[in-house]
Amino acid sequence: MIEYKNVCKSYGKKKIVKNINLKINDGEFVVLIGPSGCGKTTTLKMLNRLIEMDSGDIYIDGKNIKDFNPVKLRSNIGYVIQQIGLFPNMTVEENICVVPSLLKWDKEKCRQRAKELMALVNMPYEEYAKKYPNEMSGGQQQRIGVLRALAAEPPVILMDEPFGALDPITRDSLQDEVKAIQKKFGKTVIFVTHDMDEALKMADTIVFMNDGQILQADTPEEILRAPANDTVREFLGKHIQNFNQSQMICSDLMKKKVIKVTEDKKTLECVSIMSRYDIDSLIISDDDNRFKGVVTIETVNQRGKAGNSIKNLITTDVPTVSPKSSAKEAFDMLTERHADYVVVLDDDRKVVGIITKTSMSKALASVVWGGNE
Amino acid sequence: MKEFLELHGESLVQSIIVHLGYVFISVAIGFVIALALGIALSRVPRFSKVILPIISIFQTVPGIVFIGVLFIYIGMIPFTVIIALTIYAIFPILKNTYVGILEVPEKYKEAAKGCGMSPMQVLFKVELPLALPTIIVGLRMSTIYIVSWAVLASMIGLGGLGDFIYIGVSTNNNELIIAGAIPAAIIAVGLGLLIDFIQKKVTPRGLRRNSR
Repeated sequence: MIEYKNVCKSYGKKKIVKNINLKINDGEFVVLIGPSGCGKTTTLKMLNRLIEMDSGDIYIDGKNIKDFNPVKLRSNIGYVIQQIGLFPNMTVEENICVVPSLLKWDKEKCRQRAKELMALVNMPYEEYAKKYPNEMSGGQQQRIGVLRALAAEPPVILMDEPFGALDPITRDSLQDEVKAIQKKFGKTVIFVTHDMDEALKMADTIVFMNDGQILQADTPEEILRAPANDTVREFLGKHIQNFNQSQMICSDLMKKKVIKVTEDKKTLECVSIMSRYDIDSLIISDDDNRFKGVVTIETVNQRGKAGNSIKNLITTDVPTVSPKSSAKEAFDMLTERHADYVVVLDDDRKVVGIITKTSMSKALASVVWGGNE
Repeated sequence: MKEFLELHGESLVQSIIVHLGYVFISVAIGFVIALALGIALSRVPRFSKVILPIISIFQTVPGIVFIGVLFIYIGMIPFTVIIALTIYAIFPILKNTYVGILEVPEKYKEAAKGCGMSPMQVLFKVELPLALPTIIVGLRMSTIYIVSWAVLASMIGLGGLGDFIYIGVSTNNNELIIAGAIPAAIIAVGLGLLIDFIQKKVTPRGLRRNSR
């Protein structure tokens, strides 16, 4: 377990980290996120003492990191940096084995370890071990960067925006690989990013920082469901709109194109309109587009006579909502009252749209799978 | 030509050996001192703003003056020449060592520290290997430079290819001047090529420019 207690850090007069308290459990994937300059990288680097804190304490498994020799401490904590930083004068194998050889593992053990690790990321030892970093793509280099951090089997790994310099496709597959490795070996990972997609994808716990303070530390689900304040909400941006149904309103999901007729239409005409659009009811409005009710194919069948106006066939027993009511309300009407559709009326009872089961499921799908419908 | 070699061949070979001796000894000593100083300076870059200009002033003192002054104090021994040449050899290597180490990108130093390397390990495993190509460029400059400065040794009667050149100049004998100048030029070019070769050998594939 890692524990930050009242940790502070300033550069000159500027306070970068203000009294951070944070507990990280073994095997947890923690993502520090926030706008640039929020102190997330400083918080990370104080753990392996690349940056020394001004006050406060950090404990790893109950031991104060100040009691360790910083060099010794670091060889026991994996570290991946954004700019990859593979040593260009060393081969892939030498790079992976940097920490083991500092720890004086024998050569054969180092080689075995390199082999084993390279297999994890599908880079065959025979093909890549003797290559130099500049002979590989950025994605391959950062895979080796991750392996270097894993090599001496440290229980804790720090990653400082490790995928920031990679193209989106490579980034995506590295995220999957790192997450899989982390789960497989039960590593504790502390990961800094400013990319919310990445945080939501990787994290067990998201720690949202701003201005040197922790605004919220919670599971991705909780952060999305109940952002602590406007700063967090703003940073979540599109994710929260997708996710939070209570925020989604009827006007977001209604169909604006509504088939409607005025009440002076005759029955046969209405039936032909219905069959043309393949629908079983028509919305009736007056000349000002005010809602009058609906006419269904059944009532026309039962009571309608050819040539008569539909005026007497109108039913008003139809669920309606305002464009501003929550999507949940429309959803409940559709499911609980077994309505086929909900008519959306504005304050003047003018018809502005219709929500059918199809439009509702489309909207839900965009929440679950993303996309802007 | 044949006549000339019969007359001067032996002393020419002698002079070339002495000349090369001066070059090797002073460059070797200069290299060690410069490397140590350069590393030391790179640990405290703020001192370098004072120290580097001071050392570079020595560089602007003409060699002829410098050897003359040392001659007065130390006397007519090879040591005088070695000191003077060594001091000239130091600066290019020192400067390139210092700059080479400082130019090692921060990311490598941070990664090295983050991996748990001690400052010494960072220096020897990362900084020096990455600075090596730059350091060798300095060594090359020094060597070629010293080949030409070593001509001055004969000014205080200490041999080397300068003997031919000075005697040639004072007796208006072009043959002698050329007999001194051409071997000196060949030595300079030859040593330059030798160092290029060494540089290629010691630079790992990953550091070679255009290796992609």
